[in-house]
Amino acid sequence: MSIQQKTSILILDDEPIVLKRLKPTLEKNNFEVEVFFESAGALQRTREREFDIIITDLKMEGADGMEFLSDVKKRSPRTEIIVITGFATPDTAKECFEKGVFDFLAKPFRLNSILETIKRAEEKLKGAD
Amino acid sequence: MFWKSNKEKGSFALLIGRFQDILDLNNQILELTASTGDMLGGNYVFDQQYIRSTCQQLAELVSDLIRNLDALAPRKYTPLYKTFDRINNEIKEELSGHRVSSKMDLILSFDAITRDSSDAVGLGNANLAEISKSLNVQIPDGFAITTRASVFFWEYNILQKKLNSVIARWENNEITVSTAAEKIQEIIRTGVVPAKIKKAVRKAVEKIYRRQKSKTLFFAIRNSEWGEDSEHSFAGQHVSLLNEPGETIVKHYKTVLASIYSTTAMEYRRQKGISQNEILMSVTCQMMMDVKVSGVIHTLDPVSPQRDVLTISAAWGLGTAQSDGRIRADRFEVDRNPPHAVTAINIVRKKEQVVPRKSGGIEFEAVAADQQTLSCLSPEQIKHLTETGLAIERYFMKTRDIEFAFDQKDHLIILQNKPLHIKPHDQKETYNINEIIKNYPVIFSGRGEIAQKGICTGPVFFINTDSDLESFPQGAVLVARYSSPQFSRVIKKASGIITDIGSATGPMASIAREFRVPAIVGTETATSCLTQGQEITLDASENCVYAGIVKELCHFELMADDFEETYEYRLLRRVLKKIDPLNLLDSHDKDFTPVACRTFHDITRFVHEKAIEEIIEMNFYHPHFSKKNARKLDLKIPLDLILIDLGDGFSNLTGDRLIQPENITSTPLQAFLSGLTAPGVWSSSAVSVDFGSFMSSVTRTSATSIAPPKNSDQNLAVISREYANINLRLGYHFNMVDACISENINDNYLNFRFLGGVSTAVRRSRRVRFLAQILEKEDFIVNLKQDLVVGRIKNLPLAVMKKKMHLIGLLVAFTRQLDVSLISEEHIARSIVEFNRFRKDAQLSQIDREPQP
Repeated sequence: MSIQQKTSILILDDEPIVLKRLKPTLEKNNFEVEVFFESAGALQRTREREFDIIITDLKMEGADGMEFLSDVKKRSPRTEIIVITGFATPDTAKECFEKGVFDFLAKPFRLNSILETIKRAEEKLKGAD
Repeated sequence: MFWKSNKEKGSFALLIGRFQDILDLNNQILELTASTGDMLGGNYVFDQQYIRSTCQQLAELVSDLIRNLDALAPRKYTPLYKTFDRINNEIKEELSGHRVSSKMDLILSFDAITRDSSDAVGLGNANLAEISKSLNVQIPDGFAITTRASVFFWEYNILQKKLNSVIARWENNEITVSTAAEKIQEIIRTGVVPAKIKKAVRKAVEKIYRRQKSKTLFFAIRNSEWGEDSEHSFAGQHVSLLNEPGETIVKHYKTVLASIYSTTAMEYRRQKGISQNEILMSVTCQMMMDVKVSGVIHTLDPVSPQRDVLTISAAWGLGTAQSDGRIRADRFEVDRNPPHAVTAINIVRKKEQVVPRKSGGIEFEAVAADQQTLSCLSPEQIKHLTETGLAIERYFMKTRDIEFAFDQKDHLIILQNKPLHIKPHDQKETYNINEIIKNYPVIFSGRGEIAQKGICTGPVFFINTDSDLESFPQGAVLVARYSSPQFSRVIKKASGIITDIGSATGPMASIAREFRVPAIVGTETATSCLTQGQEITLDASENCVYAGIVKELCHFELMADDFEETYEYRLLRRVLKKIDPLNLLDSHDKDFTPVACRTFHDITRFVHEKAIEEIIEMNFYHPHFSKKNARKLDLKIPLDLILIDLGDGFSNLTGDRLIQPENITSTPLQAFLSGLTAPGVWSSSAVSVDFGSFMSSVTRTSATSIAPPKNSDQNLAVISREYANINLRLGYHFNMVDACISENINDNYLNFRFLGGVSTAVRRSRRVRFLAQILEKEDFIVNLKQDLVVGRIKNLPLAVMKKKMHLIGLLVAFTRQLDVSLISEEHIARSIVEFNRFRKDAQLSQIDREPQP
């Protein structure tokens, strides 16, 4: 894969630690990564450009991840969304999948698990393109 | 739950129900604690929300546990509630982010500082104290005036109110930043240092006078960076006052505090959006050393990291004027790889040096003519510095900036050590790491578990038998099928560790973490995929092994932000200190009381022990005990075991209080006893007869006359057909087995806990390592901590579970006195051989007795 074809990923989480841990790992795995800890910034960025994959928390202070992902999915249906959350209930998981979320990871998660999930989402994207 | 299918009604059933709840909560607490501890390994991404909710969950479980004990023995253990509140409040205080607690000392001597003291003394001091302990490097004698003291000073002088009005005027552009800074510094300098702080400083100085046997000591007084990570670092300028007499520390303390409000610091904070009030400072006072030469090590050249060299700059005298260029320094470049060849030397003419003035303070002085063009470091000193620098880097897994000095006797002293932040000039370097990695074949990835994260390179060296350890080369990657406690002998030489078998909570992992050597365990195939001498790169951060030496990957890791320096990592470490450690080891100890509990684990252990005591007393020793449900087991070995049946655990009962092993119908207990009473095992250990009889006298109570419980040991099993909870106190250690074994594979589990012992800590730790090794080879998930080993296994078929339970029985019998005989590390291996022999015999005899269907 050449540098131009890197899979682009946006991560939104209100806890900077999550971004701090994920960004270098994903970069090391050859992804193009942008991170946001406020939904306003992330929302604006998704309006400026399309991302292949979006990773977002659901429950954040002063922001609703569900709204954010609905907005993204409406604008860019091909974007795959991975939800990461500490409040994993069957109901929220169900709601996510109904909204077309690719996968749902309960926090805390292993770095390996999220990499695997991203790779599966990537394959789905390739299949669709 | 399945074991609650007890048909019997009334108080017995109720009380047993309480007891079962206690057992159940006990398991839940221990499991949750263990999985929380696993988060520190670096495999997981967790956030503050996780830490908060886990602490809350644990608090609820522990308070439930106490309530259940209270129901079992009303009002007998009420102090537990108070203890619980105390510990829980401490945890809440940590979580609230109020990092300066009123319990913090005003002064901490360096020997009392640990890596967890960073809130009190700043990260820099904590790191310095840490290496002096772990790496045995010399640091100057001294102490830190803690952040608590600065808060005290602030409050005592009602400074915040005075400062706020000045800050407001500056923020409204009524005055310039320099006017504001000047005013504020003046306010701070005219403040009064509270008598308590003065007294504490005086005491600390006097202590050093006594230790150093001198009355004319001078000190270096510095502010210390406070903060959890680079993002929250104290945003001020570095202030160092050198060679000041001990009596002037209090005066200078205020000057150093005032430096928080320098113009640069105030502007910086405004830029970064950091409140001007959110500032804490600790002040370090280190004894001045008689310095001949001093300088700085960068463990990786920040200007051109790709060259893989370490740099040293050094000059005569004190190091203070080197960094700003007032004094010229010699510069050396050294290859980071052994044998550390010096690749560049630049000796400059050093006309001046900084020396301590006799009356205090410092002055410039001419360097003797014949010294000016001499190298101020010898080749031996360069080598010593390189090795020390790299050891410190390896310890922190991050490039370091290290200030050092050699005294007149050529002793190396480390003055400071902090992370060296190297940002690649070219963003591409970061982005292309993946492209670079692609050139190296992956030997395997994603196999096994990361025991200690980090990246290392080196040739593969196989350890098949312990004798291979003799020839282990410096810097090699240790590869072995199983872990062995013997590995600790070479761990300082190993750059990394890979094993086929093992878990991230097992014994190998704990050694790797202790020495911070990158390690992957449980790869299954490492020994067959790798070849002796093959050069590899072990990436124990991404769980991947590459063929060849990938230098760029090492640099990437060394330059990356360190997970262990994040606030969340440190917060979790701190709250776990109030949850996980077990201080209540011996229930015979007079301190085995509710008040002595310091952690949730202590409370859990206390409740468990007392619940067993209560149940035995109520159900067996009570004159009206239920003959139907409580019995004493008649064993051929000297062990009294009281059984309480929850349903279908016995059969064919006679009126006797004793029950024969053949009348037991509980599957797990049967399997356990088959191991426990296997021929020869119980009395196998190589201890003297005298000691053996002493032990058996401790474990045996008279079978005919029932003694009150206080004089006996509490051996209790609560059983049903498919369940057993067995608590054995053998001599001074404690075994707990909790298991369900049935036809239903999903219900099956076996938890084994082993704790304590009578001999020295070293021998006890050998015994738990022996246990951990056996259990790990038997596919148990093993968790090892100090004197405690926990083995867990679940969801295996009935026949396999029975075998595992039989093994636990054997182990309990075999390890009864083992710590006494484990006089050296070699004895662990010997004991494993001996145990396996007994095991084989036991299996044979078992097959003889009960042929398999």
